[in-house]
Amino acid sequence: MSNPYEVLGVSPGATDEEIKKAYRNLAKKYHPDNYTDSPLADVAEQKMKEVNEAYDEINRMRRKGKGTGSTGSSSYSSGYGSSANSKYNSVRIYIQRNMINEAENILNGIPEAERDAEWHFLTGMCFFRRGWNDRANVEFQTAVNMDPNNQEYRTALNNMNTQYNYNYGGYRPNNSYEYGGCSPCDVCSAMICADCMCNCCGGGCR
Amino acid sequence: MFGYLQIDKAELKVREFEAYKSVYCGLCRQLGKDYSVFARFALSYDCTFYAVTLMSLRRSCSGFDDGRCRFNPLKKCKYARCGDDCYSRAAALTVITVYYKLLDDISDSGFFKSLAVRLVKPFFSHWRKKAAGRYPELDKTVCDILTAQLEVEKKDKPLLDEAAHPTACMLAEIMKAEGRSESESRVLYECGYQLGRWVYLMDAADDYEKDKKRGCFNPFLYVETEDLRGYMNAVLSQSLARAYDAYNLLTIYDFKGILDNMITYGFPLKQNSVLSVPQGGKK
Repeated sequence: MSNPYEVLGVSPGATDEEIKKAYRNLAKKYHPDNYTDSPLADVAEQKMKEVNEAYDEINRMRRKGKGTGSTGSSSYSSGYGSSANSKYNSVRIYIQRNMINEAENILNGIPEAERDAEWHFLTGMCFFRRGWNDRANVEFQTAVNMDPNNQEYRTALNNMNTQYNYNYGGYRPNNSYEYGGCSPCDVCSAMICADCMCNCCGGGCR
Repeated sequence: MFGYLQIDKAELKVREFEAYKSVYCGLCRQLGKDYSVFARFALSYDCTFYAVTLMSLRRSCSGFDDGRCRFNPLKKCKYARCGDDCYSRAAALTVITVYYKLLDDISDSGFFKSLAVRLVKPFFSHWRKKAAGRYPELDKTVCDILTAQLEVEKKDKPLLDEAAHPTACMLAEIMKAEGRSESESRVLYECGYQLGRWVYLMDAADDYEKDKKRGCFNPFLYVETEDLRGYMNAVLSQSLARAYDAYNLLTIYDFKGILDNMITYGFPLKQNSVLSVPQGGKK
């Protein structure tokens, strides 16, 4: 295993507080919730594991009386447990293993009349994995419309909406810029005004 | 290519900005060295982004050299030193993309513009051959993408995803080649795919009014929605969000400040500036 301090991105001389903070930041960054449905979920999980191990290792090395440190090691189980008896089991397994072509082959082989909410959900998932966000959104929406009570489909759609609104404080439709600010002309007129006021009071700008 | 992959200067530290500029200058110098003084005019922010990413992933920047700008000898500038072929790769990508862009321009612009383009084309054609000799895989990726793009544009009402796919794949393939392990390649692929998609859609959003007027191809023309701006914004933000998630899985040491700045400030800033152009035409 590589140097646990390097994994957390702190120097070996860092205080316990700093290490805890670095650990928390990384854990937040790699949190499985950020990668639900993502084709990179397993990579994130691996990173999370490394971070947890590094944190445990440091705690062990520092012999804190608390033992191995409670990191709340990721008990995140990836995958979709909710419908184990689904007829799309093999499709789900393929998607989970990132074998999108195989999954799509099966899905496309299902006749149009038998395509239910789950079919749309899984098709959407395939598109999402490929990066075809827009089609994925349409399919998730269809799935939710067909089966509004299914939590799994709803979560997928909500995730999409979260990403839609992911703008770091920028464009807001109702707040388009009106060429505000201060032109050279504004500066001059402001100066003149100020000067007039000064003169009124007998001071004046000399 | 398009020039959307920029930094947000206001949010950058001064030393990070200098480092960024020194890569920019270094790439400019490389274009002069590998191709010709005139090839320097092809320098773009996108390819600077590519050079910064390469140097960051390979950790190949070993320091900065003082020098002077070729175009303005009074101006001093720094050049980032690079141990391997990051600069020449980025320079090759620059001339290759510009060459194919010119080909594309000839086919769909008016008489005078196309005449002007035809005049400069032979130079780029020569440089491109040179670049393709050095990096055949880069040339092949870009060439394949253009064929695929033309194919998509011929279709009747292609989907947004479909239209963005070739450009997205291009960046994905280029980035993927830098992965040092299977999982890193996958992360880079996803990051490149979403960024490429974002670049393509930005270009489409930027040209929307113009294309609408002239009847040119634009994927947003086939979108049926009441709030097109909002839709564009949502689609673009989503691509950036996914690119950001993938980016977070990379371990970056060098130029981290610059790359972080780009993905969290520079790109969204560009997105906002494109989307806040008043409706009904530019400027």
